[in-house]
Formats: sequence, structure tokens, C-alpha cells
Amino acid sequence: MKILSKVVGHKLFALFVIVGIGLWFLLIPAFTGGLGANPLEKILHQTGEISIWTLGAVLGLSPLRVLFPQSRLIAAVNRHRRMIGVSACVYALLHLSAHVLYEGSWDRFVQSLSKPFIWYGLSGLSILVVLGLTSNNFSIRTLGGRNWKRLHRLAYVAAAILIYHQAIAGKGHWQIARWLLFPLAALQIARLTKILAVKWSASSRTMAILGAATDSP
Amino acid sequence: MATQKANFAHDRAWNLSDESVTPEVDYLRRREFLRIFGLGLAASAILRVDSRATAIGFPDSLNGDYKLDRIKLTPEDSVTGYNNFYEWGLSKDQPKEQANRGWRTDPWKIEIGGLCANPLKLGVEELVKTVGGIERRNYRHRCVEAWSMVIPWDGFPLAKLVDLAQPKPEAKYVKFASFFDPTNCPAQRSNEFPWPYTEGLTIDEARNELAFIATGLYGKPLRNQNGAPIRLVVPWKYGFKSAKSLVKIEFVADQPKTLWNEMAPNEYGFYANVNPNVDHPRWSQKSERIIGAGFFSGKQPTLMFNGYEKQVGDLYAGMDLRKNF
Repeated sequence: MKILSKVVGHKLFALFVIVGIGLWFLLIPAFTGGLGANPLEKILHQTGEISIWTLGAVLGLSPLRVLFPQSRLIAAVNRHRRMIGVSACVYALLHLSAHVLYEGSWDRFVQSLSKPFIWYGLSGLSILVVLGLTSNNFSIRTLGGRNWKRLHRLAYVAAAILIYHQAIAGKGHWQIARWLLFPLAALQIARLTKILAVKWSASSRTMAILGAATDSP
Repeated sequence: MATQKANFAHDRAWNLSDESVTPEVDYLRRREFLRIFGLGLAASAILRVDSRATAIGFPDSLNGDYKLDRIKLTPEDSVTGYNNFYEWGLSKDQPKEQANRGWRTDPWKIEIGGLCANPLKLGVEELVKTVGGIERRNYRHRCVEAWSMVIPWDGFPLAKLVDLAQPKPEAKYVKFASFFDPTNCPAQRSNEFPWPYTEGLTIDEARNELAFIATGLYGKPLRNQNGAPIRLVVPWKYGFKSAKSLVKIEFVADQPKTLWNEMAPNEYGFYANVNPNVDHPRWSQKSERIIGAGFFSGKQPTLMFNGYEKQVGDLYAGMDLRKNF
């Protein structure tokens, strides 16, 4: 377990996984014919999927840390938050490029802007770009830790928008999008429940101590 | 006289010119692919289908009559490897795999009933014999998701089946129902979709010369993923109207419920005619991606009624197609 978390915690490991995902789902299939009969569409869908799941992974980390504070593995993965978050932005940009290519011409791309699911995609992407650009120590120093944290809570807004974007992008896509929405929502609910439970038990313990203090003669 | 007849046949809309379609991939390449990846299950499924082919009177896949090198169509492996069949997965590469994990489409009975004088229940081969055999037609296929193919279907005109059943005057619609088999089809155990898949046509649409019942494609019986053993093909409508793996065709008085219309009535109308002027609420229908032509296959403009306006335009004369989408 110790060795595993050491390996997982290594920067090269994160890089390997994040780049590896791209190789495995995009580059290797592209050269082996694994992208099927509509390769550009496959790339369009894969980049979007990778981006949204990567974003989901980084958002899942905070509640997992609260729920399993002792886990070395989660702590090790958590060291890569920044890299995971930035890669969500990079894959989202690749997704946009694939969309432009898929539309085939500038006119058709402009035409596609008339569709609401494109707006949701673009607004989610805009948030990711802002967050990606401020994912460095310089920005944290300049903005101040508190403001920076507030700004980066927009990641939740981005996730909500992008899950909706995915759900309305195609025929029956909700059936796919919910596999991300439900677990993330469940994790957040579990986190809030735990925080409230800890607070409640702490305050009831204080009350008990106070009560005991007043009862004593 | 003979030339005249030939010319007439050539004018038919399903006689697409050789130039309008994309090259066929060598049939052997697919075989090789199967061999290399050792997909024993898929291979045995194909072998089973091939042996059935001779029974229904299909030409053998090696029959030289078709001269595959001259006919340019959507490659067969694209037609059989990229399609929607939500009973067997939500993505377009899943049906090929998931519909071939032991789902039996032979033997198969189809029931023709409802408001008709001659209700029937019979096997597919028997039905093919009763209507007088099969013919081959190249049809454009346009999916509501804005992609398209050109497919050589084998089958018979739906009109022949309508004539056979002798619908009563009060029959105004034809309802098509796909298989319902939750034991072998895991997706049908969930109630996310109102299974079985149902579709419908007006009786006039069903009698139109283009409406087709397919039992094969590329000169071979339909693969499971393409709607084996018998399916509807309505080339002037979006693909979802062409219900697959039919078990029941029913003549009815009122407009039947159809699956996608029930799921999202504002997005999938009953008519669902291909129409570049009426967008899907969530995406454009002005153009379509050509499937099977590689990375930069590009898009082409979508045609009114998918290019079959001459044959079907009259059916909708005076109808507001924006309202009756």
C-alpha cells in the first residue's frame, strides 16, 4: 500500500496516465483503424468524454478526501489535482477543435452556434480555460488563497453545465451523462452529511460538557 | 421495347448512379480482420448466416454476378459496424458486438394482423416465397443524427405485403413492432425506453413504391445488428422510422404510438421525413456526414425527402411540414 501510494503520488505517474489516456483512446485507434466508420465523430466524442470524466475525477477528489481522510492512495492521487484539472481543459480544447473540424467549414461552425447544446459546451469550456490559466502558483499568490479558491469553485458550475451539455448533445445521451452526475452528486451528499454529522456530534459533546459543568454543584 | 423498359428501370430513384457512392471495401479484408483478432463468436455467427443464405435463395457472397469492384456503395463493414440499435447498446459500434452474443434470429415468426381480411403468421422464408422472392435496391439512408450511407438492400416492396394482407377500408395506419425478448436482451429489462420498439406509417406511405421490407443487405441475410431477420426500410424518412427485427405488422385505424415520438414528441415527429429546412431542436439537419469515406469524408447537403421528392412528394401535398415534422 505504501509503495503503491508512492508510485501513484509520483508526478511522472500522473503524466503517464493522463497522456496515456489520450494515446489509448485517440492516437492508437487512429493508427489502427479502431475509430470505426466515422473516425472524426469518434474523436469528437472521445475528447469530450475524456474531458468531462477528468473534470469529474478532480471534483470527486475533495469529497473522497473528507470521507477517507486516512487513505494514502487518495492523498497520493490528490497531489495531482492541478495536472488532472488542467488536462480536463486541454481535452476540452481538443474537443472544440474536433467540433470545428467535424463541421467542416467556418460557415457550418457558425451555424452550429445557433444550437443551445453548443452554448452550454462553450460556456463550460470558457470556465475551464479561466481555471486552467489560473492553475499556477503565481495566480494563487496574486489573487490570494481565498479569492483563488472562490474562483476555482466555478469548477462545479462548469461540471453541471458540461454534464447538461453532454446530456442534450445527442439522441438518448442522458443515459450516458447520468453515470457521471449521480456518483458526483452522491459523493457531495456524503461529504456534506459527514461534515454535518461531525459538527453535530462535536456540538452535542460540547453541550454535554457544558451540561455536566452546570449540573455539578 | 426492351430498351424502353430498361430506361424506365434506370429512372427509378433507387438506381443510384455509380458516382454518387463511395467505394466498397474488399470483402476478404473483413474476413482477415476476424481471423487476426480471433473473434470466434462473431465469425461463427457470420458462418451461420451464410449457410442460411442459400435456403432463402440469396446469392452466395462469392457470387460474381454483383461485380463488387464496379458498384460504389458505403463499405459493407461500415454498414454492419456503425449503426443505432438501442436494444443492443447506446453507441454505434456496440450493436455489432452485443447483438451477436447468442441472440437467435432464426427461426423467427412474423405476424401480420389487425384490420385486414387475410391475417398471417409465418416464417420469414415463407413470407419471402409468398410475395414472390426478393430484389435488390440501392437506397440512400439518412439518420436523424445527421449522417448518411448508401446501402444495397435485398427484400421486397412493402406494398406487396399490404396487398397480401388485404387491409380493410378503416385501416388508416400500419404499425410495426420489433422483438421483445428481455431474457436475451438485457436492455429490454429496464424501463428507460418503452420497449418493444414501435414505428408507424400511414397506409398511403406503406403503399408507396419506395417503402421496402428488407431481409438482407449486400446480397446476404441481415446481420443481427442490422435488424435480422426482417426489417422496414423507408428511405425518405429518418432512419429511426425503419424499425428492425419485426415480429408484428398491424393495420390500425388511429395513428399508432411510436417509441421515439413517445420519448421526445417535440424532437421526433410521427412523419420524420428527411427535411433540410426543419432542424432538429438540438442540431442542424441542413447537411450530413458521409459514413465510411475516411477521416476527411466531409459533409454533403441534405436533400428534401432524402432525394426522393419525386416519388413521395405527393403524399404530403398541402401539408405543413414544419408542423408535421
